[in-house]
Amino acid sequence: MSKIFCRALAKKKVMSNDGMLIGTIKNIMVDLGTGQVVDLIVKPDESFKPDGYRTDGDKMFVPFEAVKDIKDYIVVDRYLLKKSS
Amino acid sequence: MRTQITELFGLHVYTDRAVYVGNVDDVVIDVDGKKIDSLAVGNLNPEIGDLKGYKGIRIPFRIVKSIGDIVLIRHIAGVFRSSQKDE
Repeated sequence: MSKIFCRALAKKKVMSNDGMLIGTIKNIMVDLGTGQVVDLIVKPDESFKPDGYRTDGDKMFVPFEAVKDIKDYIVVDRYLLKKSS
Repeated sequence: MRTQITELFGLHVYTDRAVYVGNVDDVVIDVDGKKIDSLAVGNLNPEIGDLKGYKGIRIPFRIVKSIGDIVLIRHIAGVFRSSQKDE
């Protein structure tokens, strides 16, 4: 049902389901063998402390399992955020 | 193999009978299924068949065989015309 063009995702904001702004989407990691979407690569907002999350330099990895829905914002589940895949 | 999705943009798409199809313009993801749904291919090869004026086609990910320096998809007789006659 909900299918989305990747280019439409560029510069979309990532928000948790409790209303906290997490950051801006930078890229998406996919597994080409299976076609699974693995992670979102997010640039954390200045107000967000990425301690304890999976990060690489100034980028943060959000498991795609945490994504609830994508409309004007990308809404992710706060509790699934830290899960490593 | 894990790749950033932007790496796919601009890759050339060929069928496994070495017929050029086009370039990857965009990737459609299925948010509920958490997987790649299809590749949006543009800059189409006018030789592949009756395109009815379409500027692009969506290639379902299940017919993609492999992705490396190019994208290799399954050749479907009747959809893609090849230089050799399809038996």
